[in-house]
Amino acid sequence: MRRRSLLTAAAASAFAAGCSSSPGSSDSRHGRLTYGIWDVAQLPAMRRAAREFERTRPGVRVDVQLTPNGTYWTKLRTACTSGTAPDVFWMNGPNFGLYADAGQLLPLETEGGEAVLRPADYPADLVSLYRWNGVQYGAPKDFDTVGLWFNKELFDRAKVDYPDAGWTWQDLITNAQRLTDRRRGVHGIGVPVWAQENYYDSIAQAGGWVISEDRKRSGYRDPRTLEGLRLWVDMIHRYRAAPTLQQITDTDATQLFQSGRIAMVQDASYNAATYYADPELRAKVDVAPLARGRRRATVIHGLGNVVYARTPRPALARDFVRFLSGRRASQIQGKYGTAIPAFHGTQRAWVEGMPEFDLQVFLDAVDYAVPYPTSGNTAAWAHKEQQLLARAWSGDESLDGATTALAKAMDQLLDQEGRAGS
Amino acid sequence: MSLDTEVPAPPPVRAPVPEAEDRELRKRERAFAHRDKWWGYAFIAPAGLGLAVFYLWPVVQTLYYSFTEWGAFGGTTWIGTANYDTLLHDAEFWQALGNTLLYTGLVLLGIPLAMVLAVLLNLKGMRGTGVYRTLYFLPVVTMPAAVAVVWRWLYSGDVGILNQALDAVGIDGTYWVSDPDTVRFAVAAVGVWMTVGYNMILLLAGLQGIPQDYYEAAALDGAGRVRQFFSVTMPLLSPTLFFTTVLSVIQSLQVFDLIYLILGANTSVGVTNPAYGEGQTVVMLFFQKSFFDNQRGYGAAIVSVLFVLIMALTALQFRLQKKWVHYA
Amino acid sequence: MPEATRSPKREGRLWPAHLVLSLGAVLTVFPLLWQVLTSFKSFGESTRVPPTIWPHHWEWSNYATVFDSIPFTEQFLNTLLMALLRTAAQLLLCSLAAYAFARIRFPGRQTIFLGFLAVLMVPGELFLLPQYQIMQNLGWLNSMQALVVPGMFSAFGTFLLRQFFLGLPTEVEEAARLDGANPFTVYWRIALPLARPGLLALGILTFLWSWNDLMWPLIVNTDPEQMPLSAGLASLQGAHLTDYPVLMAGSLLATLPVIVVFMVMQRQFIQGIAFSGMKG
Repeated sequence: MRRRSLLTAAAASAFAAGCSSSPGSSDSRHGRLTYGIWDVAQLPAMRRAAREFERTRPGVRVDVQLTPNGTYWTKLRTACTSGTAPDVFWMNGPNFGLYADAGQLLPLETEGGEAVLRPADYPADLVSLYRWNGVQYGAPKDFDTVGLWFNKELFDRAKVDYPDAGWTWQDLITNAQRLTDRRRGVHGIGVPVWAQENYYDSIAQAGGWVISEDRKRSGYRDPRTLEGLRLWVDMIHRYRAAPTLQQITDTDATQLFQSGRIAMVQDASYNAATYYADPELRAKVDVAPLARGRRRATVIHGLGNVVYARTPRPALARDFVRFLSGRRASQIQGKYGTAIPAFHGTQRAWVEGMPEFDLQVFLDAVDYAVPYPTSGNTAAWAHKEQQLLARAWSGDESLDGATTALAKAMDQLLDQEGRAGS
Repeated sequence: MSLDTEVPAPPPVRAPVPEAEDRELRKRERAFAHRDKWWGYAFIAPAGLGLAVFYLWPVVQTLYYSFTEWGAFGGTTWIGTANYDTLLHDAEFWQALGNTLLYTGLVLLGIPLAMVLAVLLNLKGMRGTGVYRTLYFLPVVTMPAAVAVVWRWLYSGDVGILNQALDAVGIDGTYWVSDPDTVRFAVAAVGVWMTVGYNMILLLAGLQGIPQDYYEAAALDGAGRVRQFFSVTMPLLSPTLFFTTVLSVIQSLQVFDLIYLILGANTSVGVTNPAYGEGQTVVMLFFQKSFFDNQRGYGAAIVSVLFVLIMALTALQFRLQKKWVHYA
Repeated sequence: MPEATRSPKREGRLWPAHLVLSLGAVLTVFPLLWQVLTSFKSFGESTRVPPTIWPHHWEWSNYATVFDSIPFTEQFLNTLLMALLRTAAQLLLCSLAAYAFARIRFPGRQTIFLGFLAVLMVPGELFLLPQYQIMQNLGWLNSMQALVVPGMFSAFGTFLLRQFFLGLPTEVEEAARLDGANPFTVYWRIALPLARPGLLALGILTFLWSWNDLMWPLIVNTDPEQMPLSAGLASLQGAHLTDYPVLMAGSLLATLPVIVVFMVMQRQFIQGIAFSGMKG
């Protein structure tokens, strides 16, 4: 989750309070359904899927409602309070706990004839991302893993071999330094304070952890966690192979990469389509697996389709989710190329849609992926996390100082969460 | 209040009346006033009810919420002044308040600037005033979402036009909107840019309301241009100046989306901008707490304090106006 | 307005003023010019570092993309209707209340007026959630009413017009009252026609502000067919990356009409402002 989505993701709902989980009265399998989504890039694929569903269900109409990223969560929260949320809508990891815990979502059957989804059809981490207290509330829609994107032109000029699966952190550091060309204003790698793309991955690679499995304790005291963070802080300040936080604040890392100012950037699979859309860039860049620390790791995250607890048509809404997360709709998604479908065996179309890129990297990454860290109110501590880590990135504070403050703040928030939940 | 000559002055319809008759008249006026009462209520009812339902009631609710805590998933719990106690010791809040006050002060500096522009535009024989007015007014009507992106580009430390221009004259620029030392001034400059045209129009309107014969009289007394400005223009313009200042203060203290967007808070940068703390305003903090951090009670306390502050500052200005504002 | 005396000598002495004014105008317009130029760049070019000033290749298709991405015509009409209805309602409701505050004596007048003023001092973000719930309770989500109704009432408008009425002479109104006309007749027949410049000023301001209102429409209307342009354009901002040139093109298209409105009406606008806001 990139910060922009995180900020909106962080729009966790105080307002969700008061949504009851009683199902609607009329449970007809006909009528009108609304489907709430936030990404304009995925609108065509979602519309297409909705049309196909309508075709199999005479008398059913699906309205796809796009709410721009910036207001999706604010809007969803108010809509939930008033009982007007869409029947089916997109969910992400950081927000899931809050909605599930508040009874905003309808449980989805995972076995038997009425099963909405079969867990074996998806990567296990995605299924568990949408399980709360042992109940499944979301069906995986898509997933994203992280890869090391690199600019071939800059590598050729610096006479550095392209990155491959064998790269270690040391290779990453040394080559980033070799690629750095101050005269031309080029840096080896861009390291913004991004969780999913940068530090959650490196923390896992170092053998550290962000949140304990019982979701009660912060991992920011563990020396291994700090090791994962130090990689990036050192990359800026010690190895001087990355732009400063100020530079990367002024010009977004993605933009710096697109314009050849940084030779490498860790970015999630969802941006592949964007890089591919620019013909110049398409020829110049490619992607490799993330460098290995103590172990190989990437974070995996994906969106889920969920059913609103107060939908008047719960049975139809479940049918729609079954379709959306099923094989047919996943193939449609893959064909449009905007996201990797989560359903096993439907990803080929996505990979083959952009043959110039080695997208298999993202699929292979599933094997060594670790789950995205979440809790009941992820947004609250994720916000602190970014704020405090930014102080270490900028050099205003030592990494030890920043993480000590972070661990304390995070434990306190998790403690509050525990009390609120009980 | 000076009258524009283009509006026909209504003819005097009431001849001077003897005192007894005058008393009689006043009695009738009082009788009117009695009957008028209901007319008065009827006149304000539509607007008043609408404002009460859509605006005043939410304010009352917010004041109430500021004494409560919103459980993550429960109703509100009355917690007395706990939110305000927290606020007192919340460094982030005080910094945001300081930022907001500084921003307001800096944006007020735009008023003298607007004044200069208005005076120039009002010069005798000035041509092309329509074009100038339109150009200066353009920023007022543009969409903040697009404009903020442009300003981020202009301010960019490594490649921004501003630094390229400074470089050309031998000045070293900085990372204007990600440097804690400069961010407040950089956003205030944009604030001035967005408001100067509006203020200029208000002041120009005030200037045009000053009858020309006042200047002629002053000129006959031997007052030069500068003397005329201070003895005629300033006093007669002071009501407009007052109005402009009051509105500017209120709007600046409520500033939100412009700064939010210029800091890049809506992009992947988010709160990781190293100058975020120095740029954050009170309404931004309120927005963050109520909409993202799941702390609506605390957010309500923040915005309530701001509301009281704005009221106090406005009341203070109305008190001080007696010292410098002249009503003709 | 003072009659301009255009002797060549005077004209000649105005050049320093022109110099200052044009310099300021260039500074003011520069960011907008940048916006115009960006709207003609390809996405790739718009992300170049360092940025190009002049587009290498003029990409007119950005404007076409705006029309493809959002139902532009519908949203344009929505915006127009929203702005016009809000303006009309404010002119009527605000002028009624303003007249009462300026002319009619009734118990509680000061208190109620202070209540109006208080609304002026509250940041607009505070109203988003409460107003949304009202709309929801009325079943008005995704409707024109939702866009218009809360914007029909304005504390600012009432304040502005009250100032205006206070500046008008009272003699004619008083005479009419003595002749037996009721307050509404006086307001409608005498005060309102005299207040035209003030109404015009408020009308223009309300129109401009309604046109660019973003947050509220975005929250209350999710159906693209029911959105005004401001909200429609915001939906062009993608989840991960924004196509800046298209965003710039769209926002230029959207603001063009209000710029025209201002250009045409500015003289009357200034006159209207000149009358109000002068009395304490």
